[in-house]
Amino acid sequence: MATYTGLDRPKSKLYYQFWSIVFILGLCGSMALLYFATKKVEYIWRWNRVPQYFLYEEKVTIRAEMEGKIVSIDPAGAEGKNVRVLVRGDDGEETHELPKESLLLSSGDHVYAGDNIGYYTHWKPGILVEGLWLTLEVSFLAIIFGIVLGLFTGLARISDNPALRWGAITYIELIRGSPLLVQIFLWYFVVGTVINSILAQSGFGQISPLWFGVMALAIFTGAYTAEIVRAGIQSVHRGQMEAARSLGMTYAKAMRKVILPQAFRRILPPLAGQFISLVKDSSLLGVLSIRELTKASREVVSSSLQPFEIWIVCAILYLVLTFTLSMFVQYLERKAI
Amino acid sequence: MQTPPIIDVQSIDKFFYTPERLQALNRVSCSVAPGEVVVIIGPSGSGKSTFLRCLNRLEYADSGHIIIDGVDILDPKCDINAIRAEVGMVFQSFNLFPHKTVLDNLTMAQMTVRGRSKQEAEAKGMALLEKVGIAEKFAVKPDQLSGGQQQRVAIARSLAMDPKIMLFDEPTSALDPEMVGEVLDVMKNLAREGMTMVVVTHEMGFAREVADRVLFMDKGEILEQGAPEHFFTAPTHERTKEFLGQIL
Repeated sequence: MATYTGLDRPKSKLYYQFWSIVFILGLCGSMALLYFATKKVEYIWRWNRVPQYFLYEEKVTIRAEMEGKIVSIDPAGAEGKNVRVLVRGDDGEETHELPKESLLLSSGDHVYAGDNIGYYTHWKPGILVEGLWLTLEVSFLAIIFGIVLGLFTGLARISDNPALRWGAITYIELIRGSPLLVQIFLWYFVVGTVINSILAQSGFGQISPLWFGVMALAIFTGAYTAEIVRAGIQSVHRGQMEAARSLGMTYAKAMRKVILPQAFRRILPPLAGQFISLVKDSSLLGVLSIRELTKASREVVSSSLQPFEIWIVCAILYLVLTFTLSMFVQYLERKAI
Repeated sequence: MQTPPIIDVQSIDKFFYTPERLQALNRVSCSVAPGEVVVIIGPSGSGKSTFLRCLNRLEYADSGHIIIDGVDILDPKCDINAIRAEVGMVFQSFNLFPHKTVLDNLTMAQMTVRGRSKQEAEAKGMALLEKVGIAEKFAVKPDQLSGGQQQRVAIARSLAMDPKIMLFDEPTSALDPEMVGEVLDVMKNLAREGMTMVVVTHEMGFAREVADRVLFMDKGEILEQGAPEHFFTAPTHERTKEFLGQIL
């Protein structure tokens, strides 16, 4: 039950029941409205076409690699479901193992290189799952780098050293003051071009767009994290630092053992918000042809022509990521107390 | 006084810019012998807390010298952390580390600053908790303790470093009246054991009973000092008389 603070008249049980029902009706009503509106524009929902973008059965054709004759077909595999086909030619022998029912040839048949012998199937993750995984990977890397960057920038921001402090302020203001999309373009098309050209001239390999994308996100998040960290540190009572220093601890030790553990607990909620933003902002990386969830969805939409289902699924997948992150941080919060 | 003073303050000034210039300490000089208990009293804003905080450089005096155990702590080259390890401080607001248990509060600095092993630090910590009478609370977090208990833990935390000097900054001012006694008892025991103590307090009873010397500060200056029996019965300075008249 909602908290009763005592500032208002106590609410009856009926009050909560009634308004709970209003909430649920509102939710169902808006969904029904959406459904009938799409009916009106004659959109045909085909949810059954969605699962294939998560998991699909790939058919792999088995072809002969040389010219020869099928010498023998023996049962193989655990339950005799597979067969082993032995092909002998002038250049030697080759064997293929494939399911019995997919076999197209019989013993004694002559095969040429490239001839179809049969096929097997296996399950593969679909493009949406791959996109989801890439989004997860990019976000995870960016969060890790963002935390490290934000922590040190936050400490530099409150440092007595003018170079560190002004450096931190410049970094934070620059990054917060320009759109993330522009930063992503800058990192890839300006910095990326320069770095990759130099690498190419020096005879090294190229850095993939993914890393420039991660860098752009991490540096963007780092600036916001730095301000959160600074606020967290400054929210810890001055007396804590004084007590730690009066015991003879150095600034670094006092920071690490006394101030940061207390600050960490307080900055968890805003930090969670920042990282949820980051997961969502990773959708911009599609512009660098990184096939994360949004880019993958766009591709699926253009091939399936089912935009309604796919974009709804895409949004739900982001929700799953951000909600999991939010739950994880809440768990950390409870644990830290 | 034959032994050299353990604290020797020579004419220090301290200014605050808040932003208007305010002189918190005005050419204050004072020395404390080993084992001496000095109580500083005075009206609020008289600079007594500032003076105390200058002694372990939580405030940096603007001029003069502060010699602690033979080292001038206003010399930028001195290792202030080494000095602070020898000078315990107890705050008005306890300042225990809320994210650590009582015992961890006592062992942290022992291990990180003194380099003691965990066993050694815990043995020392438990012995001190025993001494201040809250050994059974070693595993709880400070916020589960009463103010008096917290302040006793804070004293034990400072003592765990085996300091040569203890500074007390109004240690009982934030306590409920019925808890003042337990903290003062711990401090009295400490004084009896020969600890050098500088105490800023409003507890005149404590000053009378325990102090070797009472200092009266007003407007950043030490106006009068003397043995408590003399100080409380026959103050010479007008301002001292006025102050004592108000509080006694």
